[in-house]
Amino acid sequence: MTNTSSTKKKENASSDWDWLVQEDRIHRTVYTDDNIFVREMDNVFAGTWVYLLHESQIAQPNDYRLAWIGTREVIVSRNEDGEIQVFSNRCTHRGATVCRERRGNAQSFTCPYHGWRFDNQGKLFGIPGKNAYGPAFKSRDMNLARPAQVASYKGFIFATLNPDAPSLLAHLGNVARYMDEWIEHQGGEDNIVISGGQRYHLDCNWKLVYDNAGDGYHVPFSHQSLLVMTNERYGGGDMTYFADADRSNMHAYGLENGHSIIDQRPDMFANSAWNQQRPQPGRESYVEHVLNTAGSENAQAVLESTVGAGMNLNIFPNLLLIGNQVQVIQPLKVDSVNVYFNATRRRDADVEMNTMRLRTQEDFPIVGEMDDAANFEECQRGLTFSPENEWVDMSRHYETGKDVKGDDVVTGPVTSDLHQRNYYAKWKSLMKANPSLKMRKERLK
Amino acid sequence: MEELDESQSQLENEKGEIKVNTRSEKDSMQPKGLEPSPFSYEPCSHYVDAPFYDWLTEVSKDLSFADIRSEEVVDEKTWRQIERLLAVEARLLDQDAFERWLLLYVEECVYWIPSERSAHDLRETVALEFHDRRRLLDRVSRLGTGFAYSQIPPSRTARQLSGLEIWPSPDREDEWRARYSFTLAETRVGRSRILAGWNGFVLRQTSSGLKIVVKQINLIDCDSPQGNNSFFL
Repeated sequence: MTNTSSTKKKENASSDWDWLVQEDRIHRTVYTDDNIFVREMDNVFAGTWVYLLHESQIAQPNDYRLAWIGTREVIVSRNEDGEIQVFSNRCTHRGATVCRERRGNAQSFTCPYHGWRFDNQGKLFGIPGKNAYGPAFKSRDMNLARPAQVASYKGFIFATLNPDAPSLLAHLGNVARYMDEWIEHQGGEDNIVISGGQRYHLDCNWKLVYDNAGDGYHVPFSHQSLLVMTNERYGGGDMTYFADADRSNMHAYGLENGHSIIDQRPDMFANSAWNQQRPQPGRESYVEHVLNTAGSENAQAVLESTVGAGMNLNIFPNLLLIGNQVQVIQPLKVDSVNVYFNATRRRDADVEMNTMRLRTQEDFPIVGEMDDAANFEECQRGLTFSPENEWVDMSRHYETGKDVKGDDVVTGPVTSDLHQRNYYAKWKSLMKANPSLKMRKERLK
Repeated sequence: MEELDESQSQLENEKGEIKVNTRSEKDSMQPKGLEPSPFSYEPCSHYVDAPFYDWLTEVSKDLSFADIRSEEVVDEKTWRQIERLLAVEARLLDQDAFERWLLLYVEECVYWIPSERSAHDLRETVALEFHDRRRLLDRVSRLGTGFAYSQIPPSRTARQLSGLEIWPSPDREDEWRARYSFTLAETRVGRSRILAGWNGFVLRQTSSGLKIVVKQINLIDCDSPQGNNSFFL
């Protein structure tokens, strides 16, 4: 951290969250300060519900996969009976990780260091040379540590270390109804199959990724290459409705607990969304297949169901349902983050539709996300090397009176900074709190 | 963009005819029952269909198989041609000569970066990248807009290729398969890094010379988070 004398005093007053996060601007250190990052991992990630993975990623008995509660690594495992457990990937003996593959199928985990064995519910069942341990040791709980709360919403598994956190349903609040709409676009909760992913490492603070997910302002600028290319090559198509977004029918919605949505559906589905898709490999053979199998009267509807959901659904702090992808943000350090673009297929779809879904989802990460990523990394550099410029602005439409408060939703123009203002209010309340964080090692019932 | 169109018009199909980039009758017909599209997505991509995916799955298995192949199945002249083509392919990418680079590929080509170490069926798992010719042209065009910020300034690359192996395709007399290991040094905005892996190819003798049908780029860390790979690998 490079601090100048003018900001040093304020930065040291770490309790002064109201100064760091104001109604319409954020202090740069929120993106650059190591101590703030460490507190975020406790208060924002461990202290509230974070998304781990989708049940379809551990579909078979004894399947497991690594996941992260911020920087805390856990194993999510399904046992023989189909029950799911979440436990820390940390041997209760000396601290070594007990699992070193990102995913697999295992009935038990043996620590490579001294051979302690745990079943796939995290229960310790084997200590080599156990006779060397006495009654004090045996009175301790030495199973792999489990987060205070784990819950699933329609196949999406979440966890928190905070025993006092409200239920997952209470945390999701009114974003659940938009999740339901997203799930409905996939044909229902039992229909979603995660099918691999594109994974990126970015040298920036995790919030630059989260900021962008609800930013309807950047599209014609950060993605200008895409808009120019589709216009020059095809006469228009994908996302061109963002070019004059303030006059569009799209809106941003601030939801409870820091969640939000950019709803592209009013413009994306105003005309055929299929026709607007940037052309995928095999597009023409897919149209022929749909005409042959669905008949000319149903073909258009099938084609329209192949496209993305038309939502940027941002579930604070680390889950983004964008298009048909399940994106996950994994913070690593104050200026380092992994982003996972998990692709989805539908169980009820034929292979041709699922193939077209995959080809569609491959497109944006490499031609769109990379330009955003370059901009996030340059933001991080600018925020770091110019400490005298203290503020990050989020005042777009703050003073125009266009953010309209409803019962439980704030509705704003699609280019409003409403998303940021909304989640930063939640972020601040979490950072001010002093949550108790618990991992339990006692025997499972 | 003019340069791109010019190079496109130079493309020849396998019969040696010049491919003219105009809308064919088949492509312009609006199937009954479908909403008319205001956009014309050319060149069309009829070739990426079910048999083509079956073939790609077979090719991918063959390219990655831990085989010990006889060295005498490819004649010396063909070997030299393929060796040279693959060297030129890598060099043109190092030189950012993307339009010319695409001339090395047949019309109905594939550029494929799997997201898993053993390349899965493209119909079941998303790829890091999977491009037909049309999407390759999109990529090249995008880089040329002057607004592709992930490549402003552009990556500079230097590729080292080694351990070339070539063997005949089992299904066609005019086709070969090849693979080599690579390290790709990349530098951009003052930061340098190394990508590594192996590339698998399908190559075909056409009336306009030897061309690339498939390029499959297998990164050793393809299942780990990637950096800015928005140039061509």
